[in-house]
Amino acid sequence: MTYLLRRLAVFPLVLIGVSIVVFVAIRMVPGDSITAMLGTEAGLLTPQQRDALAAYFGIDQPWFVQYGRWLLGLVQGNLGISPTYGKPVLDVILERFPLTLELALLSMMIALVVGMPAGVFAATRNERLSDLGVRIAAMIGQSTPNFVLALLIIYTLSAGFGVLPAMGEFSPLWQDPLRNLGQLILPAITLGFAFAASVTRISRSAMLDVLSDDYVRTARSKGASARSVIWRHALPNALIPVVTLSGIEFGYLLGGAVIVEQIYALPGIGRLVLDAILQRDYALVQGCVLFIAFNFMIVNLLVDLAYVALDPRIRLGER
Amino acid sequence: MVQHLTRKLLSGMTLAAMLGIAAVPLQASAATLHMAWSQDATGLDPHKQTAFSSLRLLELIYEPLVRVDANLQIVPAIAESWQFSADGKELSFKLNPKAKFQNGAAVTSADVKASFERILDEKTGAAARANFLSIASIDTPDPATVVFHLSQPDVPILTAMSDVNAAIVPASEITAGSVGTKAVGSGPFKLDKWDPNAKEVLSANRDWAGGATGVDGIEISVLPDETAILAALRTKQIDFALLNDPLVATLVPKEASLQLNRVPVLAYHVLQLNPSRKPMTELKVRQAISCAIDRQEVLDTASLGEGKVTGPLTIPSLATDPSQLFCYKRDVEKAKKLMAEAGFADGFSATVIGATGEPPTAAAEAQVIQSQLAEIGVKLDIKMMELNVYVDAWLKGDFDMAVALNGGRADPYTMYNRYWTKSGNLQKVANYIDDTLDSQMQQGRAETDPAKRKAIFAEFEKHLAEVSPWIWLYTSYSYTAQQKNVAGFVPTPTGTLFSLSKVTIQQ
Amino acid sequence: MRTLRAIFAHTSGRIGGFIVGLYLLLAVLGLLGLTPHDPLMQYRIDRLHAPSGTYWMGTDLFGRDVASRLMMGIGQSFIVAFFSVAFAALAGTVLGLAAAWFGRRWDGIVMRIMDVLLAFPAILLALLIVAVAGPGTSTSIVAIAIVYTPIFTRVVRGPALSLKAREFVDAARTFGSSSSYILTRHLLLNLVAPLTVQVTLALAWALLTEAGLSFLGLGKQPPAASLGLMLSDSRNLMETAPWLMIFPGIAIMISILGFNLLGDALRDIFDPKMRRAIA
Repeated sequence: MTYLLRRLAVFPLVLIGVSIVVFVAIRMVPGDSITAMLGTEAGLLTPQQRDALAAYFGIDQPWFVQYGRWLLGLVQGNLGISPTYGKPVLDVILERFPLTLELALLSMMIALVVGMPAGVFAATRNERLSDLGVRIAAMIGQSTPNFVLALLIIYTLSAGFGVLPAMGEFSPLWQDPLRNLGQLILPAITLGFAFAASVTRISRSAMLDVLSDDYVRTARSKGASARSVIWRHALPNALIPVVTLSGIEFGYLLGGAVIVEQIYALPGIGRLVLDAILQRDYALVQGCVLFIAFNFMIVNLLVDLAYVALDPRIRLGER
Repeated sequence: MVQHLTRKLLSGMTLAAMLGIAAVPLQASAATLHMAWSQDATGLDPHKQTAFSSLRLLELIYEPLVRVDANLQIVPAIAESWQFSADGKELSFKLNPKAKFQNGAAVTSADVKASFERILDEKTGAAARANFLSIASIDTPDPATVVFHLSQPDVPILTAMSDVNAAIVPASEITAGSVGTKAVGSGPFKLDKWDPNAKEVLSANRDWAGGATGVDGIEISVLPDETAILAALRTKQIDFALLNDPLVATLVPKEASLQLNRVPVLAYHVLQLNPSRKPMTELKVRQAISCAIDRQEVLDTASLGEGKVTGPLTIPSLATDPSQLFCYKRDVEKAKKLMAEAGFADGFSATVIGATGEPPTAAAEAQVIQSQLAEIGVKLDIKMMELNVYVDAWLKGDFDMAVALNGGRADPYTMYNRYWTKSGNLQKVANYIDDTLDSQMQQGRAETDPAKRKAIFAEFEKHLAEVSPWIWLYTSYSYTAQQKNVAGFVPTPTGTLFSLSKVTIQQ
Repeated sequence: MRTLRAIFAHTSGRIGGFIVGLYLLLAVLGLLGLTPHDPLMQYRIDRLHAPSGTYWMGTDLFGRDVASRLMMGIGQSFIVAFFSVAFAALAGTVLGLAAAWFGRRWDGIVMRIMDVLLAFPAILLALLIVAVAGPGTSTSIVAIAIVYTPIFTRVVRGPALSLKAREFVDAARTFGSSSSYILTRHLLLNLVAPLTVQVTLALAWALLTEAGLSFLGLGKQPPAASLGLMLSDSRNLMETAPWLMIFPGIAIMISILGFNLLGDALRDIFDPKMRRAIA
C-alpha cells in the first residue's frame, strides 16, 4: 500500500517535468500559430495585425507567463482551449481517445491470441523444424516496419481485390459496431503483427525457462502428463514476462500510432498530436502529451502490480 | 390503368410516410457527394484563412461580391453588376436582391460595408487587407448599392474582391464577434458539422440566390495519405477527391471507372534566389544560375512532365511565350562564362531550403536543380524543413535559395505587388527591386485598357526574367479525381471547387 | 574471442552474425563509394527503369541506381543506428551507475528524469527534438539516443544495485581498493553481458526508428540515401515502380532480422537465465 502511494506521489512530479519539456520545446520550434494559419501570407500583416493575432492565440506573453497561466488553469482542472478545434482541449482529447484505446486493445488481443499459443507450441517443440518455422515467422514479424505493412495491405486489397474497409468517416463502436470493427481490423492487424511476433518470442523463451526449472521437473518426475505440466504448472509462471511485455507495448500504443493512423486516416490520439504540432496548437500539444504520459504511467503501474500478483516471490519496491 | 397508377402512387406515398420521408419527387439530386482531401481547412473565418483547403471549403459557404470563372473573367456573385467611374477612383456595385444569408437575413449594402471595414481593421488580422488599402471610404446610398471611393486608380482591386478572403459576412455576426466560430455565409452550402482534421458535413442551402444545387450535401473526409485516397476512389467509397501529388494523380486514368480532371493553375514552382546574399548579389551570378537550369528537365523529373514551363506571368491571357525570355533554353557554356565574368569561375556553395511535402515535388525539384547547378560549380546543400519552420525562415528572408510553390492571382498586380514594388510587403523576402519593375507595376495598376495593360506586363515579365532575382520554373496542374458518374464539375485555374454547387451524381 | 566462437557455434548466432557482417561490408563499401554506380548520379534518360543487367535493382525517379543507393543507404542508416545506440549506451551506463552508486538522492533524481523521458511516446519525443534542432543525420542520432537512454539506464541500474549489495564488492572494499577501481572492474565486468545484448537489440530498434523518422520527413536530407528515406520516397511510386519499395523494404527487414538473431544468440550465450531479466 505504501508502495502504491509512493508510486502515485511521483506522478505529479513527472507530469510537471513532461509539461515543462513540451512547453519549452514546442515554443523553440520556429514558426508559430500565426504562420501555421496564414503560411507565407503572414508576411502581409502589419505589426498591429500581428499583435492582434498573437493576443488571439494567447502567445503575446513571454513563455514563463504563458506557462504560469497554463499551470493555474491545470490546477483548476482546465487544460485550456484549442484554437484549431474551438473547444476545450480535454473534450477534443476525449473525443479521440476511445478510438486509440479500442485500437490498442484490439492489437493486443490479436497479439496475445496469435502470439501465446505460437510461443508455447514452439517451446514444446524446441529446436525442431516447426519451432524453427515459428521463430523465423516471428523474427520477420518483428522486423517489418508497420508503415510498409500498412501500405502493402491497402494496396493489395484495393488494387488486387477492389475492397477496402470504410475510410473517411469513422464510426464509434457504440454507433455502428460492425462498421467500426471493419474500420479497425486492418490497422489492428498492422499494429498487432509485430506485437504478436514479440509475444511469440517472449512466451517461447519464458516457457523454455520455466520448463527447465526445478519444480516443473519435479512435477514431471512425479508423473504429471506433459499437457498438464505445460498448462497447469509452467504456463502461469511463463505468463509473467508476457504480461510485462504486453503491458509496456500497450502503454506505447495508448500514445497513438502516428504513422498507422495517418495511412488508415484514423482520427486517433497519434494524429491529433502530430496535427497539433504542425498547426502549432500549443494548448492541444501540451494537453495531449500530458494525457499520453499520464496513461503511460498508469499502465506501467498496473503492469507492475500484475507482476506482483502473478509472482508472489517478488516483493514490491524492488524494481 | 389510371387506377393502377393511383394505387402505385398511393402505396409509394404510404411507404414514404412510413419511413418518415417527405414526399419529394425522386430525382438524381437526392444524393450526397462523398469527397476526400489530404489536408483539412484550418479555420472558418473567411477574412483570416489563407490555407488552400480553407479557401476551398469556405468558397462553398461564403460568397464575395464577384467571382472569377474558368476563363478568369469576372462574373457576378452577390453583386449582379458593377462599374468603375471614368477616372478609375470610384467602384460601385448593385447587389442581387435575392441574395440571402444562411440565417435568413437579406444581404444588404450595410453588410458589405461592415465586412470591408472588418478586413481593413488591423485588429482583425486579415492578411488580405494589403489588397484593399486604396479604399478611402464606403458609401451605401441604398440597401442594394455600395460605392467604394478609392484614393487612387486601382483596377486590380476588383479581382482582389473576387477572393473568398473578401467574402461578405453578416454585419450582425461581426457585431456579435462570432465570425469564425459559426459559418454564416450566403453561398450554396451550409456547414452542418466540422471535426477538424477528420471531416466536414455540408448541406445544400435551399435559399441560395444562385439556384438549386445538384446534390443534397457534401461530406468531406480528411485522408492524409494520398495513396489511401486513390484506394478509396478505386473501391468507390468516395465520389470526388482533391489530389496534390502528380505521382498519385497520374495513376487515376488507369482506372476505367475514374476520371482525372486537371487544369493548369496560376501558382508557379520557382527557385527563389536571395539577391541580398553573396554571391547572388551579382546580376551575372543570378543570370548564370538561370542559364544553367533546364526548366523542362526539372518539370519532367519532379512532376513527371505534368505541367508547363513558365515565365513570371502565369495568367493565360497575359503570359508570353516563355522561350522568348532570357536563357529559357539551357546554355551551360554561357552560364560558365557569366560565372567567370562575375569572378566565380570556380563556383561557390549555397544552401537551398524547401518545405517537406509542400509542394510534394519540392524535394525532387531541389535535387534536380542541385545536380544541374553542380555542372557550373555551384554546390548546393538541400535542407528540407517542416512547413512552419520553412515559412518562418522564408518570411525573414533567411535563406540563400528556396524552392517554393507560390500562389497566383487572376491579376498580375495583385499577384506580384507584394514582391516587386518598392512598398511591397514581401520586399524583405524578394530582396530585389529596381525602378523599372516598380514603375511598370504602378502603370499596370492604373491602366484600364486591356491591350495596353498586356503590353506593360509583357515588358515587366521580360525585365524580371532578365534580372533573375528568382528562377521561374513551371506551372503544374490542379488535380481532382472523380467517379465517372459525377457530372458537371468545371475545374478552374484558381483551384476553386465552387462548381461543386452544380455537380450531380448520375445513378 | 570465446564469445565469437560461441556465436559461431549457435545456429541463429551464425545466421545473425553472417547477416550483420554482410551488411557491415555493404555499408563500408557504400560509404567508401565502391558501388556499381555513383549513388548520386542522375541518369535522366533512364528514369524509373525496371531492374535490369545495368541497374540490378532498377532506378528511381531521378534515374539514380537503386542498388548503389541501397548500399549508401545501409551505410547512412548504420551510422545513425550505431552512433545513437553508442551514445545511448554510454549515457545510460554513466547515469545508471551514478544512480546505483551515489545513493538514494541521486537515484531519485536520475530515475525521475528517466521517467519523464520514458513517459513521452518515443516517436513524439524524437519528433520534438528534430523539430527544434532541424532534421539531419546528427539530429536523428541525438533524438534516437535520447529516446533510448532511459532503457539503458534501467538495464545498468538494476544489476548495478544488486552487485553493489553483494559481498564481493564489500570484500574488495575491505581490502582497500579505491571506489573507482571497484566500479570499473567489478561492476562493468558484470554489466558487459546485459549491455551487449541490449545494444544488439537496440540497434534493430534504432534502424526501425530511423525509418519511421525518415517516413515523416524528419531524417536524412536528400540527395543522400537512407533506408527509411528510400522507403518513404517510394510510397507514392509504389504502383509505378514497385522495386523502389521492395528492395529497401527487404533490406531493412533483413538487417533488423540480423541484429535480432545476433541479440538472441548473445542472450543465450551469456546467460540462459537472463532472458527474463531483460524482457
